[in-house]
Amino acid sequence: MRAGIWTAGAVAIVVLATGVMTLAPANSQAKKEAPLVTDGDAAARPWKRYNGWPARDYSKFNTLANLASPPAPKEPRKIAGPIEGDAKKGAQLVADRNRGGSCLACHVMGPAGGANLPGNVAPDLSEIGNAGREDEWLFNYVYDGRVYNPETVMPPWGTHGLFTDDEIKDIVAFLKTLKAPAVFKTALDNPDKRAAPVEKRENLDPLENPGMWTVDKAQELWKQAGSKGAACVTCHATPETQFKSWAASMPKWEPRVGKVLGVEEFVTRHAKATTGADWLMETDDNRAMSVYLHFLANGEPIKVDVASAGAKAAWERGKELSARKVGQLNFACTDCHGISANKWIRGQWLGEPKGQYDHFPTWRTSLQAVWDIRQRFQWCSVNIRGDELPPDAKEYGDIELYLASQNEGLKLSVPGIRH
Amino acid sequence: MADAPKIRVPKTAKKGEIVEIKTLMPHIMESGQRKDKDGKTIPRKIINKFVAEFNGKPLFSADMDPAIAANPYLQFSAKVNESGTFKFTWTDDDGTVTTSEQKIEVA
Repeated sequence: MRAGIWTAGAVAIVVLATGVMTLAPANSQAKKEAPLVTDGDAAARPWKRYNGWPARDYSKFNTLANLASPPAPKEPRKIAGPIEGDAKKGAQLVADRNRGGSCLACHVMGPAGGANLPGNVAPDLSEIGNAGREDEWLFNYVYDGRVYNPETVMPPWGTHGLFTDDEIKDIVAFLKTLKAPAVFKTALDNPDKRAAPVEKRENLDPLENPGMWTVDKAQELWKQAGSKGAACVTCHATPETQFKSWAASMPKWEPRVGKVLGVEEFVTRHAKATTGADWLMETDDNRAMSVYLHFLANGEPIKVDVASAGAKAAWERGKELSARKVGQLNFACTDCHGISANKWIRGQWLGEPKGQYDHFPTWRTSLQAVWDIRQRFQWCSVNIRGDELPPDAKEYGDIELYLASQNEGLKLSVPGIRH
Repeated sequence: MADAPKIRVPKTAKKGEIVEIKTLMPHIMESGQRKDKDGKTIPRKIINKFVAEFNGKPLFSADMDPAIAANPYLQFSAKVNESGTFKFTWTDDDGTVTTSEQKIEVA
C-alpha cells in the first residue's frame, strides 16, 4: 500500500523551482537545500478518518478545500399564525449535545432542561420571552440567523439540517417561556464567573508528561538505518546543536513541493529522500520525530518566514482560509478563536490563536496520545461537523503558517500537555 | 519497544537524610473488566507487584490491583545512611519482570 503512495524509486532529485537562475550559483545553493522527495503524498491515501472519531459524512458542507454548503436564504420564511410547539421538548433540544452542542453551547438559557455549564459566546437568552419578539422572527433566527444578521457566527440550524422545522417550533415554544434571569446552581455553572483554565503541569517532566517518552523513542529512531542504509545520525551527528532553533522557524513555504511544510511533512519527505525511512504523517514514528525536533528547539522564540514571495502568498491564503465557514455548524477558525475567543463554549474554553501553537505536538491526557498540529486541525474540522483534509493538505500548510505567525515570539515548549 | 521506567532519585544525600523517590512504570494496566467492540472481555494485563530494594535489602513491596490507573506512579521516602543502589522491580501479569537501578552517594 505504501509503495503506491511514493512513485516507485522516486529518489529525490533536487529541483530548484525558483524560475530562471542565470546568476545563481546553482551548485552551492543546491547543496544547502535539504533533499526532499517532492512528488507523491506524505500521508495515507485515501485518507481514512481516525478510529473513534465520528463517522458521519459531511460532504454536503464546506471544507477548507471545497465549497459545498447550501447557500444562505435571502428572505425569512413566512410563518402563518402563532407557533404551537412543545416547550418541554424544546428545553431538551436546546441542551442536546448530539446536535453540534446545540444552543446551550453559546447561550445561557434559564433552566434549559436542567443542563449544566452553558457557554457565554452569545447573549444570555434567559429573558428572551419578555423581549416581545414575533414567533416568525424567533423561528427564522434559529432556522438561519443570517437572514437578520449576515455576520452572525450562529449555525444555520435549519438550513444545514441540524433541526427539523418541528424541532425549531419546539425550541421557539421553549424560548417564549424564558422570562426570568438564570439561577445558577453553582458558581461554576455561570460562564461569566467560571475561571479560565490555566495549564500548570511540568510539561517537560517525563514523570508528568508521557509525551516526553517519545523523545527517547525518537533518539533511537535517529540511529536506525532506513532502506538506503543511512540513518539521521549519518548526517546529523549532533542534533542538539544542529536543530537548536530549526523547529521554531517552521512551517516554511517550500517551492520544490509548492506548499507550506510543517516539521512533520518535512520529516516524511526528507527521510524518504535520505535514509529511505517510511515515516508517513500521523504515524507514531513521524509524531515521535516531530516531538523530538521541536523539543530540541525548546526555548527558541517562534519566528517564521512570511516575507518571501511564496510565503507571503501562503500567509494570505491562510488568513483567508481561517475565515472560511466550514462544516454543518458553519464555523470559521476566526469565529471561535477570534470573535468568540476567551469565552466558554459550554464547558470548553476557546483560546485565542496566540498560545495555540507553541506547545505542539502535545500530549493529550484525555486521549493518552500525542497530537501534532495537523491532527488538531483535523479534529477542529470534524468537531464542527465538517470533513477533515488529509494531514498533508496544502490548505493546512497555509493555515499553519498563518497560525505560527500569530504565535511569533512565543517560546517553544514541546511536548505540551493538555486535556 | 516498551517504554523504560522513569525514576527520580537524588544523586547525593547526607547521612541519615530522608530522600524523596519517584517511580513511574509505563504500562496500560488493562483491568480485565473492559469489553471490546464485539463484547468480548479484554484480558487483564497489569503490573501486579512492585518491589523497592536498597543494597539488596527490601525497602518495601506493593501488590497492585486492577483499579490502579495506567502508568503506575509511586512516590515514597527513604532514609539513607550509606551510599548504595536503589533497585526497583515491576512484575507484569505475563511474567515479565522489569528492573531499574539508581545509585546514591551519601556523604
